[in-house]
Amino acid sequence: MLNLIEVRNLKKAFGTNIVLKDINETVEKGQVICVVGPSGSGKSTFLRCLNVLEEPTEGQVLFDGKDLIHLNEEELNGLRQRMGMVFQSFNLFPNMSVLDNVKLAPLRVKKVGEEKATEDAKKLLKQVGLEDKAEQYPESLSGGQMQRVAIARALAMDPEVMLFDEPTSALDPEMVGEVLKVMRDLADSGMTMVVVTHEMGFAKEVADQIWFMDDGYIQEKGKPQDFFTAPKTERARAFLSKMLQ
Amino acid sequence: MKVKSLWLFLCVFVFALFIPFQHVNAASDGNLQKVKDKGTLVVGTSADYPPYEFTVKEGGETKYVGLDMDIAKKFAADLGVKLVIKNMNFDSLLVALETHKVDMVISGMNPTLERQESVDFSKIYYRGKQFMLINKKDTARFKSIKSFKNQTIGAQTGSLQYTLVKQQMKNNEIKGLAKLNDLVIALQSGKVNAVAMEEATAKAFAKNNTGLKVINPQFKVDSSQTGSAIAFPKGDTSMVAAANSTINNIKKQNLINKEYIPNAGKYMAGNTNKNSMLNYWTYFAKGIEYTLLITVVSVFFGFVLGVFFALMRLSHNKFLHWLAVAYIEFVRGTPLMVQVMFVYFGIGTLIQSLPALIAGIIAVSLNSTAYVAEVIRSGIESIPTGQTEAARSLGLSQKLTYRYVIIPQALKNIWPALGNEFITLIKESSIVSIIGVTDLIYQMQLVQSATYKGVVPIFIAMVIYFIMTFSLSKVLGYFEGRMKHA
Repeated sequence: MLNLIEVRNLKKAFGTNIVLKDINETVEKGQVICVVGPSGSGKSTFLRCLNVLEEPTEGQVLFDGKDLIHLNEEELNGLRQRMGMVFQSFNLFPNMSVLDNVKLAPLRVKKVGEEKATEDAKKLLKQVGLEDKAEQYPESLSGGQMQRVAIARALAMDPEVMLFDEPTSALDPEMVGEVLKVMRDLADSGMTMVVVTHEMGFAKEVADQIWFMDDGYIQEKGKPQDFFTAPKTERARAFLSKMLQ
Repeated sequence: MKVKSLWLFLCVFVFALFIPFQHVNAASDGNLQKVKDKGTLVVGTSADYPPYEFTVKEGGETKYVGLDMDIAKKFAADLGVKLVIKNMNFDSLLVALETHKVDMVISGMNPTLERQESVDFSKIYYRGKQFMLINKKDTARFKSIKSFKNQTIGAQTGSLQYTLVKQQMKNNEIKGLAKLNDLVIALQSGKVNAVAMEEATAKAFAKNNTGLKVINPQFKVDSSQTGSAIAFPKGDTSMVAAANSTINNIKKQNLINKEYIPNAGKYMAGNTNKNSMLNYWTYFAKGIEYTLLITVVSVFFGFVLGVFFALMRLSHNKFLHWLAVAYIEFVRGTPLMVQVMFVYFGIGTLIQSLPALIAGIIAVSLNSTAYVAEVIRSGIESIPTGQTEAARSLGLSQKLTYRYVIIPQALKNIWPALGNEFITLIKESSIVSIIGVTDLIYQMQLVQSATYKGVVPIFIAMVIYFIMTFSLSKVLGYFEGRMKHA
């Protein structure tokens, strides 16, 4: 298997607050990783280090063999195009229609041309079940719809890996399902995914591997059925008993 | 170390300020030839002083007339060059002369000792008595200097009359204003009890306002300082000599009494006959045109430069950041009026041909830049970081992120504040009238001079300003509605 992302001795501190202490992991091509753990354990920071939205304090993040930390602005932009990211708070551009949100990066970064960008964007919106919302503005969509548009927007750059930062945490419960379905379809299509989530059901069903994170370390990792039925560490047991109450 | 470098900076800064003026002082003679070479004689005057200089409307055009203008015309003709009149505040005349904005100043100016220190004068061409204008109802009360005890006296700032009142009427309060018209309004509304002015001017005002009366309060005057003379830059002996020869000719033929004063009287009578505001609508129209021109151009440059400075201030580059901060703080910390004068008189010494209009536009634009930069910065900072992160995670560069994501959203947020700045600019641009730009305020003053009416032109100007700002705020409101999504 090809190692798509490799993390070596990753450390991240905000001032004196050390959030990531020492992380060494690999994501293989086609793998779906779910990162779980209590709030404040560093999951989101870890994910944001993968595409250098946070600059690591120490260590290396290798993407396709290249160290992201010491790239110049232009090379970094190039590599970010190959990694899609979906945020907890959607972060759609409110000044553009749904279609323009999806088209923006292909049109301005890849410069694919107006016609092709529109065609591709419409296909992606259809894939997430929102082709009829193309001309609307984000403000008129529900949370679940916004998150599906955000996924379509990230997919528009045809990325090799998708990073999800708690994509359903800001949603009303009845909308979680529609977003998870899109993510499940994506996983089934063979997309490499790293998902930070609190949806244990989704993790159990879709993940190839669970990474359990606490106190700035990956404390435990393994196949979902092993992790959820027989966690090895005390921390994981305590976490799971709280989550599954 | 820090204190030391601050001092060094201050020294260099202050030194830099003085360079242009030293340069001017060093400029010496040979000006007669220069004037002949360029083919124009640029004359500074304050055209609110009939019968010396005032404006009339002829065929829709503003014309500067009066005995001083006739003398200037004769002088230009003698030199064989074209006459160009620059009308400005009396206060600004000598600065304009020292900074070579004008070749000479003729404005009923008395060659006082103080003035002789900074400029050279021709010989005296006309000597009038120093009179006082009062309200008719006070005729019985005010007869001479002594009878004005504890009253407030008005005089034009920087004028001989101002000095006379100050020296010889020590128990009186002086109210100094730049424009005679404003002083006459002050007299009519009881703000001052009398206005000191030249005999001929006082008589002109009295003739056109039935409520006013002229008296001779018997100022003691030193005859060497009371006549009117033409002012030239210090050391400009060739021009002084040429002017003296023209004045000698005028005196020999007694042109002032025989031709120039009767001529001025005719214009003044003509003005009085048609001083309805309707006759002067072209004045106001021109004022509106210039006020809008200054505002529109300044809004454009203020916005473009404002974006630029806002980005500089937000930049991670320390040098650019502090440069922007210093600029913004300095401009916001100094009055627009001073900036306008600095650009026109200060920078104007380096670029002699800088017209007042351009100087005004530059000053107002640079001023607006600082305010717009702060508005834009607040707009950019109001956009959640999630927007930047989303754009950057898609591979957009910082530039593309700003262009397509941040700026359009920021613009919508700051639109009301930006609109406010534009409306402010319409009003604040009125300051440029002090350097003689023909904006609405300046034109209003011309109408005041021409009609001898003080309050009505002010009221009209006020209504016009309101119409302009109100329409603009309606237009901005319309676009705000259309930017709902942007």
